[in-house]
Amino acid sequence: MKDYKGFTIFEIIALFFSYSKLNLKTTLEYKFDRVLLAFAIFCREMVSVIVMYLILTRFVRIKGWEMNEMLFLYSFLFLSYCIFVFIFTGIRDFDGMVYSGDLDRFLIRPLGLMYQVIASRVDYCATIGHGAVGIILFIKTSGDIGIQWTASNIAYYLTALIGGAIIQAALFMLSSCFSFWTIRTTNLRNLIFFNSRRFAGYPISFYPVIIQKLLIFVVPFAFVSFFPSQYFLRKTDMNMFWDGYLYLTPVVGVVMFFLVYKLWTVGLKNYSSSGNSM
Amino acid sequence: MIRAYLEVAKKSFQNNITYRMDYFAGVINTIVMIFVNISIWKAIYEEEEVVGGVQFKIIMAYLVLSFLLQNIFTMEDYLIEGRVTTGLISSDLLKPMSFRLYVFSYNIGSLVFKAVMQLLPAMIVTVALFGMLPPFSASMFIYFLISVVLGYLVLYNLNFIIWISSFWFYFTFSLVTIKDAAVMILSGALIPLWFMPQWLYEFIKLTPFDSIFFVPISIYLGQIPAEEVFTSIIKQVAWVAVLGLVGHILWKAATKKLVVQGG
Amino acid sequence: MSLIKVENLVKDYKINVKKKGLVGAIGSLLVPEYKMKRAVDNISFTIDKGETVGFIGPNGAGKSTTVKMLTGILTPTSGNVEIGGLCPYKQRKKNASRIGVVFGQRTQLWWDLPVIDTFELLKHIYKVPEKVYDENIELFSEMLGLKDFINQPVRQLSLGQKMRADIAASLLHNPQIIFFDEPTIGLDVVAKEKIREFIKYINKEKGITMLFTTHDMQDIEKTCSRMIIIDHGTTIYDGTVDQIKNRYGKTRTLIVEFGQVYDKIDLIPGVEVVDTKDNKKWLAFKKEEVHISSLIADLTNKYSILDLTIQEPEIESIIREIYEGGVNYDKSLSGGGKEVLSK
Ligand SMILES: Nc1ncnc2c1ncn2[C@@H]1O[C@H](COP(=O)(O)OP(=O)(O)OP(=O)(O)O)[C@@H](O)[C@H]1O
Ligand SMILES: [Mg+2]
Repeated sequence: MKDYKGFTIFEIIALFFSYSKLNLKTTLEYKFDRVLLAFAIFCREMVSVIVMYLILTRFVRIKGWEMNEMLFLYSFLFLSYCIFVFIFTGIRDFDGMVYSGDLDRFLIRPLGLMYQVIASRVDYCATIGHGAVGIILFIKTSGDIGIQWTASNIAYYLTALIGGAIIQAALFMLSSCFSFWTIRTTNLRNLIFFNSRRFAGYPISFYPVIIQKLLIFVVPFAFVSFFPSQYFLRKTDMNMFWDGYLYLTPVVGVVMFFLVYKLWTVGLKNYSSSGNSM
Repeated sequence: MIRAYLEVAKKSFQNNITYRMDYFAGVINTIVMIFVNISIWKAIYEEEEVVGGVQFKIIMAYLVLSFLLQNIFTMEDYLIEGRVTTGLISSDLLKPMSFRLYVFSYNIGSLVFKAVMQLLPAMIVTVALFGMLPPFSASMFIYFLISVVLGYLVLYNLNFIIWISSFWFYFTFSLVTIKDAAVMILSGALIPLWFMPQWLYEFIKLTPFDSIFFVPISIYLGQIPAEEVFTSIIKQVAWVAVLGLVGHILWKAATKKLVVQGG
Repeated sequence: MSLIKVENLVKDYKINVKKKGLVGAIGSLLVPEYKMKRAVDNISFTIDKGETVGFIGPNGAGKSTTVKMLTGILTPTSGNVEIGGLCPYKQRKKNASRIGVVFGQRTQLWWDLPVIDTFELLKHIYKVPEKVYDENIELFSEMLGLKDFINQPVRQLSLGQKMRADIAASLLHNPQIIFFDEPTIGLDVVAKEKIREFIKYINKEKGITMLFTTHDMQDIEKTCSRMIIIDHGTTIYDGTVDQIKNRYGKTRTLIVEFGQVYDKIDLIPGVEVVDTKDNKKWLAFKKEEVHISSLIADLTNKYSILDLTIQEPEIESIIREIYEGGVNYDKSLSGGGKEVLSK
């Protein structure tokens, strides 16, 4: 009888690709549907961009922010979301996994649960939909707002995007924790996540101080878009905030992810003792 | 006969109650949306006291009304799709009840739920926070109410056309999403149409979209001159009829397809 | 040595109480109410290596709940579970590598992809050596007829094909124990038979221990030597399949095909006609009251007879009676499975 051995990191990565391959195959099964879906997501996300564009065509600048600067800030939201959804689709869809009983299936596999949740799903349509908006905004703005794309700036830019993706993963995971207790949480998540994201589409200096604090300390979307873009733009409203924030995006992401993961394991314990599955 | 439809509406009302978290989230969602948008417009107005001849107060009232209406105008987008994909549609059509009226009653049930349970609390909170302009005049308020009902029907009939497409496409999520995006931009839900570039504004006036949110809200705010209110409402009625007709034709085609191909 | 050990297992579910009517619904919107529901109530049993155990009981008896605790999906409220010396919910991954699970109600296959893709993935998940994998695929293809549809997307498969693929998927890594939760649900007679044969073969050749939940008594009769019946979360029978027939199945039926149609026939006391069709009659009697030989002798004397068939009691009807409470089951039998088996 062969005995159970854990997985090496190499095997874990190889397995991750096996999962991704199946996901890609699934997506390609329905080419037309999925292309339409990616386009639909693109349209949905463009709504707020177009509104911003229309407002700024009319008013030229808001509190010293001009069109391209504002859209550049916005691009952080889309690109980091694109990275997030590429890697963490499973966390986004976690409610559904609990509801459909997929979670039970994961529990009978000799693999970590979080690993399976993450590996088992990739939403290529959302990745492309959000990614396209992000790339369009980036291309339109990045040359126009006086950024020198030096190596260090590029490194900062990429770290900020990944940090932002991890922050969003942590937020989604936070809301997915609730599904261990009360299965349906989609609206609660919309509340936490998409509302904060809405706030974060504009410079946080537009909002009352209380909202700014919330976006920095509670639902830290300020680190996804505002501070990273301020690193490049240094608009005067950065004076309201501590300069250190400009560099904290990855730290916030990792710390949050770790804390939420702890809560998640508590939720999992509760799940297997209450058996919400049906 | 009417009783049966009332029962459907009641059932949908109760369905809405089942999800406690969703309910609270629905209320807060609306309040947050209003708050974000007002903040942005406040930031705009800090620089220019009056823009385009429209005062900040009017914009505020516009946004509050728009998001409150958006909340109660949310419909059951996947009701028909669900019946079609599960094949239950065939037995629905055999019931001694008009399926289209069933769908309508179901939506009215959720409308009533949202109006009573979500609109009221959201309205109280936002009015307390931001204040609210009274209607331009008593008669305008009456016209506003009529126009809101018509706006709902325009959106309903437009939605119905999209829902019916589930007879041809398996999933309608993409179409529904694209439709939502179009409605959001073109109906004046997020930005008053008078701020749009002239050419776009002219174009939108030729579509049914402005009938959904822009017309009722403008009437409430007195932004439509009294002599044009009537034509605006007539235009809404016309769009209800035209979209209803298109929906009817599609419905006939859809049921025919069902009969011919057996679903 | 026992491979599965279950001691005083208890599971309580917390249930959200929904109040009736509009007012009640609005009320529970604000103040939710819970009540506890005991799904498994103090169950104990042990299963040896290589045993095949049918695990039956009416709907809602607590079978799936028990299986979920044995597989590490749920934590027991109290009591002990040991699978090959492991505690399934504490050493979940290690336990998982040794067991296979089929939930008949739910597939583990990737819906939009060919069956083989899921198999390939499972190969990596369980780190099945290439050679073992190939051998198993070969074996399963042959015995379960997977060849015909292994390259077809799962969504296009029939229920029976899907189930066969699911069963194969759960056995790819040569588990020591396999848990079947209703693997024959909704299948036709032939498909069921195929699956039963396969299960028997696997048990014999590979020595896999098996716990089999089903509502089809034929599944149990054909594949299991022992059966555990539970109801309302408690064990009401644990013993061999044969024994339950001897104990409770006292009624025999004799099917007689007469040479001509008789409206009324004259029978020895204790025998009744339960059914008639053309020239055939179904005669029921209690095994200890009436000797089959004297009944047959009596009949052949009086009538011309073409054919005779003796029908054993159907386990199905015995179980039905037990569920309905018609049979006073002997509590002393519960937990006595071991003794009976050792004979
Ligand atoms: N997640 C859950 N939450 C609350 N109660 C549950 C849950 N799962 C099962 N139950 C209840 O526990 C009891 C046992 O259910 P279980 O699914 O174990 O029955 P079963 O024997 O598998 O029945 P069946 O033959 O219908 O599959 C039932 O009364 C059921 O309603
Ligand atoms: Mg069950």
